Amino acid sequence: MDRGWWWKFGLIVAVTLGTIWFLIPSYYSLVVMDRAQRNDLAALQARLPAWAPPAKYRLNLGLDLQGGIHMVMRVDTKTALQKRTERRGQQIATYVADKKLGEVTAETDPEKLQLTLTAKDPATMDAIEKDVLATFGDFKRVNRDGATLVLSPDESQVNRFREEAVDQAMLVIRRRIDKWGVAEVDVRKLGTDSIQISLPGRSNPEQAKELVGTTAQLEFRMVDDTNPQFFAQLFQSNPPPAGSDITVSEEGGFPQLQSASRDALLKYTEGKVPENRQVVTECIANPLRKNECSSYRTYLLDKVVPLTGESLAGADASVNQMNEPEVNIAFDPAGAREFEKLTEAGVGRRMAIVLDDNVHTAPNINEKIGGGRARITMGRMGARSHDEWLGEAQTLALVLKAGALPAPVTVGEIRQVGASLGDELIKKGGLAVLVGLGLVLLFMGLYYRKAGLIADIALVLNGLLILAGLAFFNATLTLPGIAGFVLTLGVAVDANVLINERIREELSHGKSAKAAVDQGYDRAFWTIFDAHVTALIAGFILFFTGTGPIRGFATTLIVGLLASLFTSIVVTRVIMTYFVHGRNAQSVSV
Amino acid sequence: MQILKNKTNIDFIGKRKPAIFISTLVNLAILVGIATVGFNYGVDFAGGTVVELKFDHSISAAEVRERAQKGGLHDVSVQNIGGASENAFLLRMGGVTQLNEENAAKAKTAIEALGTVRNVYSDLANGIINFRSATPLTAELIKSAVEGSGTGVQEVRVLGESQGGTGVDYQVVASGMADKVNSALKAGLEKPDFEQRRVDYVGPQVGKQLRNRGVMALLYSMVAILIYVAFRFDFKFGPGALLAMLHDVIMVAGYYLVSRREFNLTAIAALLTIVGYSVNDTIVIYDRIREDMAKYKGKPLAEVINIAINDTLGRTILTSGTTALSLIGLLIFGVGEIFDFAMAMLVGILVGTYSSVYIASPLTIWLDERAAAKEGRHGDGMKQEPKAA
Repeated sequence: MDRGWWWKFGLIVAVTLGTIWFLIPSYYSLVVMDRAQRNDLAALQARLPAWAPPAKYRLNLGLDLQGGIHMVMRVDTKTALQKRTERRGQQIATYVADKKLGEVTAETDPEKLQLTLTAKDPATMDAIEKDVLATFGDFKRVNRDGATLVLSPDESQVNRFREEAVDQAMLVIRRRIDKWGVAEVDVRKLGTDSIQISLPGRSNPEQAKELVGTTAQLEFRMVDDTNPQFFAQLFQSNPPPAGSDITVSEEGGFPQLQSASRDALLKYTEGKVPENRQVVTECIANPLRKNECSSYRTYLLDKVVPLTGESLAGADASVNQMNEPEVNIAFDPAGAREFEKLTEAGVGRRMAIVLDDNVHTAPNINEKIGGGRARITMGRMGARSHDEWLGEAQTLALVLKAGALPAPVTVGEIRQVGASLGDELIKKGGLAVLVGLGLVLLFMGLYYRKAGLIADIALVLNGLLILAGLAFFNATLTLPGIAGFVLTLGVAVDANVLINERIREELSHGKSAKAAVDQGYDRAFWTIFDAHVTALIAGFILFFTGTGPIRGFATTLIVGLLASLFTSIVVTRVIMTYFVHGRNAQSVSV
Repeated sequence: MQILKNKTNIDFIGKRKPAIFISTLVNLAILVGIATVGFNYGVDFAGGTVVELKFDHSISAAEVRERAQKGGLHDVSVQNIGGASENAFLLRMGGVTQLNEENAAKAKTAIEALGTVRNVYSDLANGIINFRSATPLTAELIKSAVEGSGTGVQEVRVLGESQGGTGVDYQVVASGMADKVNSALKAGLEKPDFEQRRVDYVGPQVGKQLRNRGVMALLYSMVAILIYVAFRFDFKFGPGALLAMLHDVIMVAGYYLVSRREFNLTAIAALLTIVGYSVNDTIVIYDRIREDMAKYKGKPLAEVINIAINDTLGRTILTSGTTALSLIGLLIFGVGEIFDFAMAMLVGILVGTYSSVYIASPLTIWLDERAAAKEGRHGDGMKQEPKAA
């Protein structure tokens, strides 16, 4: 045996031992551990021996095998675009009036996404058209007919808007699921307007739909402080029904109604507020359980929503020179103009930041704010520690950044598998693997004798390598993945069939055992290589275009084919060479 | 042990014309079938809802269907899966949400009766109705109106006041079919006697996307493999490999077409795997042809190819046989789409073996002969034997 052989032999022993070592976390996770703890990495780590690989390298079971929900949410960018076009139309009309160019009415066609401007005086339309097209660069002219001008949003703007809408929706969904405390949740973008969510272990699809299906709406609205005592007077002149827990509380000189029930507050105030005003509540978080509200307080807001989260360009939290936590927000150009107008008109009033019909905060407007940048300084009221306020600032920045969902989200796809079905599928899949593998092993041993048994050893090693490879890449084993596993073993053994047939052929030409084995491997190599490459091409394309379980199939196929190049060529050759060269055999059993 | 005791000397090339003729005919028939009859698309592609239920007592598919219909579910197909003793059923419904054209029209009338409402338009694909009301409405009012018209409502969203002050926008989200299945089958029972084991729910638009993506994946992989084959061998091998691949894919598609088994994402995976696998046998033979072309210089290509096919016949049968053997477990224990996958692979392996011998190789000869004939015409007029390599 030459040095080269010993090197290869050492490599094979090392790979085999390494593979077995690498499968220890998987063994513990699937066999030793409790079923319920399958996804609990910390518990697995605690059970693993110190010398084993880290728990994160365990074989993941796909949602179809362990039970859980796979969802694809579609972001309804169409509705969002309609709303946006309409809002821009209104802005154009205001702009035309402000610049004294004339008077136009804006009408939106929700189907075609077109904006029709109609001038009161047709003579003014030429000037209006020129100015509007120069100022509102995100619109293109479609048609002009006398006093009417038809515009449509610019393609690249629409695409950018779409992309942003999906990104923001994703952030919101991730944040909401995080609140649920679901372990191992996976949220990712799918195509241009969809979001894919995997929730292992969850079983109620309708509940999950609720979680992600509701839309968050961020609004900036003015608080009506014309009568700061409004709620106190209402409470006195028109007291709530007996037995109600509604009380009057005061913060910063503004009396508010407070109750443990939001509905009670809304019902009590219904019909008792001035026209064009609306009562919106604020949730006072339970200090012990942050996801719950211990009580609600009321605000009287203008009904008009002048600015929504769509106009927000960014938000972040910081600490100012006075060591006060603050939230900095930036608006896009259109939002900045609107915000400047709003603050100019509302100096001395409060502006409420409303998310999902809940007043998040209502800072005071101290002066007109231009330039599209605003600062909300925290911690000037209320008895909270500096750290708590800083935390609050960070949360608010996050809410501002992620909370505004410019587009409604709908469910595109839900796949839910119950845990008991998953168990059954694992059992059946395991049996299918054993039967398929057993038949192939038996056939090879009978047909090629010793060479067949050598191929069998390689095949078993290949199977272990696939499992270890899946664990290493943190890929998941799915039901189609099991099918891919079986199929890959069938393809892997093809390589040994080709080699052994070639050796037989060389022997029949009267070559010596040594020469036949060497030539058999050399000549079959490129055929096997080509066959593997073509199968790999199909595998990779399947991987990049497939989702969920199909991707699991592709992963298994790819890992299996790569492993097969090693096991069926290198491993079998080293063993064969040992029998032929090492033992100096005159014959070879194929 | 040996599968082919003696060296075969079958004249494959001589029988190429009838083989190609029959294959072309079958392929065309399948393509026509796909175009006219179409696949039995699963929810993945057609959109819709599939619910898998397991009952805790013995019940027949007909009884389940009857119960569903009694509970108000009309267009539902019930199919027994697994063994008869398992009492497991697949319920398939066309819609994803409870909103269909008929319901949407009724809902529209109900909404319009609520007040000055305009711009009512329903998005059936997403199960959504959008509309604008001149006066504010409460969500409860809208919900009860729509539910009164026969459509279950999951949520009513207030989209906000329109900027022009012309009204408030609302969005009604219809509830899903899985809800309806549960309530329909539970009707009149104290507690459900079944377990909802699986729900697959695919919106029609997502379905269309998935289908397009699947077709694109097939095309990409064929092109990629073709480029590889052309690069590794000779360009004259390319068309043969491509047509053999197409032949195999169409035949496997034919399996789904004729058996009426569900054509879904797993079927696409099967087709793609066949694309990768079918070319394997072809490569084994091509490799041999190339080797023999060098060995038997001067012999006509047709003869060389026939020798190569005969020499590799044993291993062609064996490789297909071992792969088929590995699928047996899946055929016995696989349920639903995994069984279909294994069956499709089996069909693919068989036709793949056939096409390597009868389609891929003869086409190479045909191309070679054409090239030679062309050379003869444009050359110096001398008659040329088809030259190997």
